[in-house]
Amino acid sequence: MRAGGDANPLMRLALPIAAGLVLGGIVHLVSVLMMPYMAERDAFARLSAIAGTNMVAHVDDPSPFGAVLPNSDPAFVTAVCLYDLAAGPLKVRLPTTPDYTSVSFYTRLGLAFYAINDRAAGRRVIELDLMTARQKAALPDDEDVTAADRLVIESPSTTGIVLLRAMVRERGTREEVRRTIEAATCGTAS
Amino acid sequence: MQEAARLPGHTPRFPAPSLRHSDRSSPVRSLSFIITLAIGAAVGLSLTWLATVSGYGFGTVRAGPWRAWPKSGTAEADPYARAALARSGELPLQLADGIAFVARLDDSGRALDGRCNIRLSGLLPQARFWTLTLTDSQGRLIDNAAGRYGFASTEVVWSGDGTLDVALGPRAQAGNWLPTGGRDRLVLTLRLYDAPVGLATRSSDAPEMPSLVTERCP
Repeated sequence: MRAGGDANPLMRLALPIAAGLVLGGIVHLVSVLMMPYMAERDAFARLSAIAGTNMVAHVDDPSPFGAVLPNSDPAFVTAVCLYDLAAGPLKVRLPTTPDYTSVSFYTRLGLAFYAINDRAAGRRVIELDLMTARQKAALPDDEDVTAADRLVIESPSTTGIVLLRAMVRERGTREEVRRTIEAATCGTAS
Repeated sequence: MQEAARLPGHTPRFPAPSLRHSDRSSPVRSLSFIITLAIGAAVGLSLTWLATVSGYGFGTVRAGPWRAWPKSGTAEADPYARAALARSGELPLQLADGIAFVARLDDSGRALDGRCNIRLSGLLPQARFWTLTLTDSQGRLIDNAAGRYGFASTEVVWSGDGTLDVALGPRAQAGNWLPTGGRDRLVLTLRLYDAPVGLATRSSDAPEMPSLVTERCP
């Protein structure tokens, strides 16, 4: 040990502490940015345990003993369609109930990119065509894609999540709402 | 790290040969290096934990004890919102669907304690539907014999003057009773479906939200 260090050990620590704080800031930013890619129990992973790809699967109602997705609304009946657009566009169809019914789209990493409810759709059945930007660009020009009866949703990712949900007005109607949601379809457009 | 090992304010009395200098200071240097790494990891990961444990990024809308993160339910969600959602495994309520307000405290800043009687009362913001849900701090519903986990706007009993009055407590009460199961650190979530867009964008002018008052504790 040199004499200078013994004289002031605090000064000796100042530089490593300052460097540590700077490193801490970098670690913080990197870990926040990496978290969606690293999280093993994210929404897609949880839903993959109960649902296949490009098909509608029923999501069990949340209970005190657990829920498929944390913090989901128990007043809703929920179904899910995990999609993969690699093979082509997808057609999503959901009959509405007199109360709140909605179709919500999320990317594979859980980013919310589109949602529509029964009132916005203004029809008894919400029908949507889900496709990637490339598939949308490849649509034939003569096809009138802007027609009111055809809603084209552009997915920023090839894989993702479609949540199909309907609100239960009162407990007695839950089974009825569930049957409506069970009639939903999600599959490759023929 | 050559610089890190050298003492601030310390001037060598004679220019030492570089090899010899580094030999002598290597235990100090590696100690500095370890301290730097330890502080970096501890500070960085704690900041990340703090930033994602109780919120969903920036753009918080505050109204009394209620908090909402409307941006987290859009494609413009910031990295903190994305990280918090990935960590918890939930999917946010999309802003096109509505907005979710979360309360962990009462009006006086006290944690919502299920052993006490708590009253939620007042006017609610305009929305086509709303649901009120009670969970524990982990987001799980509260077990109770009545199977009552919350209320929806379609089933709640309204007061004569158009206000809402919900009694939270461990024991059954008249009116809109929400059982707390005697659990501490409860979380209330008020989800407004088809809410007016202005609700999420007005950050200065907070919406009118019902008050939360702890009335009696054992």
